[in-house]
Amino acid sequence: MSTMPVAAVPAGASTAPSGRGPAAESVGAPRNHGLAVASYALMALVIVIYLYPLLFLVNTALKSNNEFLVNPTGVVQSPQFGNFAAAWQQGNFASYMLNSVLYTFVAAALGTVMSLMIAVPVARGYVKHPKVWMGLFASMLFLPNTLVTVFQLALRLNLYDTPLGYILIMASGVGVGPLLIAGYLNSIPREIDEAAAMDGCGYLRYLFTFLPKLMMPVLSTAFILQAIGVWNDIILATILFSSQEHWPVTLGLFNFKGTYTSEWSLLSAATMIVAAPLLLVYLFLQRYLVASVVGGAVKG
Amino acid sequence: MSNSYIVFGRRWTAQLTFAIGMALIVVFSLIPAVGIVVISFTDIRSLPFLPVRWVGLDNYRTFFSSAQLAYNVAALQNTFVFAFAVTIFQNVIALLIAVLLNQRLKGRNFARAVVFLPTILGVTVIGLIFSLIFNPSAGPAAQLWGMFGASSAFFGDPSLAMTLVILVQVWSGIGVAVVIYLAGLQAIPQELYEVADIDGATGGQKLRHVTIPLLAPSVTANTLLCIIGALQSYQLIYVLTGPINPATQVLSLAIFTQGFGGPQGGAVQSQGYAAAIAVVQFIIVAIISLATLAYLRRRETAL
Repeated sequence: MSTMPVAAVPAGASTAPSGRGPAAESVGAPRNHGLAVASYALMALVIVIYLYPLLFLVNTALKSNNEFLVNPTGVVQSPQFGNFAAAWQQGNFASYMLNSVLYTFVAAALGTVMSLMIAVPVARGYVKHPKVWMGLFASMLFLPNTLVTVFQLALRLNLYDTPLGYILIMASGVGVGPLLIAGYLNSIPREIDEAAAMDGCGYLRYLFTFLPKLMMPVLSTAFILQAIGVWNDIILATILFSSQEHWPVTLGLFNFKGTYTSEWSLLSAATMIVAAPLLLVYLFLQRYLVASVVGGAVKG
Repeated sequence: MSNSYIVFGRRWTAQLTFAIGMALIVVFSLIPAVGIVVISFTDIRSLPFLPVRWVGLDNYRTFFSSAQLAYNVAALQNTFVFAFAVTIFQNVIALLIAVLLNQRLKGRNFARAVVFLPTILGVTVIGLIFSLIFNPSAGPAAQLWGMFGASSAFFGDPSLAMTLVILVQVWSGIGVAVVIYLAGLQAIPQELYEVADIDGATGGQKLRHVTIPLLAPSVTANTLLCIIGALQSYQLIYVLTGPINPATQVLSLAIFTQGFGGPQGGAVQSQGYAAAIAVVQFIIVAIISLATLAYLRRRETAL
């Protein structure tokens, strides 16, 4: 994942346009001073509305219980970094975090490979009735709420309360993955397939090593979209797991809230623990994540 | 094409990998989707050793029965209020923010990144952050209320809970809409504005006759995404106000509550009934999204 190409960024959707000429951006560029001031003021307001809740979270996470009781909304006076260690231990977050990482990577990777396996032959017409299959891929975006049947399926396949069952169910929620991959493949000329076949490349090698090299941007998009969904899931984990040892970190955090209802600093520290990896990933992959989510959403 | 040599078409490996991928998706995604309709005609329960019987339309009769009707009508009402409020506010505010951040302002990339952030954070973290902000005894919102001599239970206040849930949903969902609108705005050819300038068009006229018509596809995409999402969304509501708060009971949450306990039914509640609610919800979502799509497509061409 270290060398992520950015070719999948839709034109104009980038959040950090670096080499863009001024001409392309001059739409409604503030012409007079008053408008510019108003625009900056509004932008500052937007930033505050989005950053204040996060900063308040950090602020509360650093307070001692006493300081929170005395002064709940003021800026922290004596930061207690021990809160994080305390929350980490009392909330058993090490094991939840490990579970979440495992579920997210395995389910998203499996889902992406499945999308590749079904999208390629359909896009290339290597299976019969490709149009019907494409229709099916599209209809998979508009499924009813399947909580009850997913639960029953897990129960009756002896997959209830097992990581395997959860991973398989999360992996099968491929969403826009097959559509994105099929769409991307249309931009890769068929002659490449012919050349590969002529050189004696078998289908499996073509599918699993040759194509992925050409389709890294769209495969990463599919992976990221699914990974965000798995990492943030709470409902399916709630209904599919009864043993605490299998819980992902979202469920661990939600349960922590139930246990430490009034200990807001500890709870904030726990929330920070869960949010920190996401913030870190976002910091480094921000541009790419935005493009993935929006690309997936528009396709849907 | 039918006559040309299909490169990998005859390979059994191609058929096999397709079949494996499809089989997993069929078993774990499509069978549950179709199965919802099937088990909505049964009295299936959450315990595997109990016999399952066909009950015909009983679950649907229960849904419309006098005992359940008030609860279900309320859930339906909440769903509509939630979905329409979220769709309208999210789209209008997102469009305003997109127009704002499409200007050449220093720091706008930072602003865009910050607005998008909640999309990554997920419902649990967002839910906890806003529980903290709207903590009735010591949160900053309570302090703000206190300055006006008021106090509120916020998420615990039945008359306020829905408004707050909508607010948090809009806050967290706006990022995607903003980026879609920004992409739409930047796809508008610069020449059109130059031509309008030559013709002496005012800013308002340019907005009405250039920006809005050309942005129509983005509006359609955003509205549709938002309405489908909001009609089915309940994860944030679950985290913020719990599964059984009547003030924020939406249809999806009713599926969860009826199917997986909660005080009303407990373990004896039939999951077939929850499946029937899911089918009713699916039909409603389908009708509304198709109607919205048809309406927006017609507007697009009219603009």
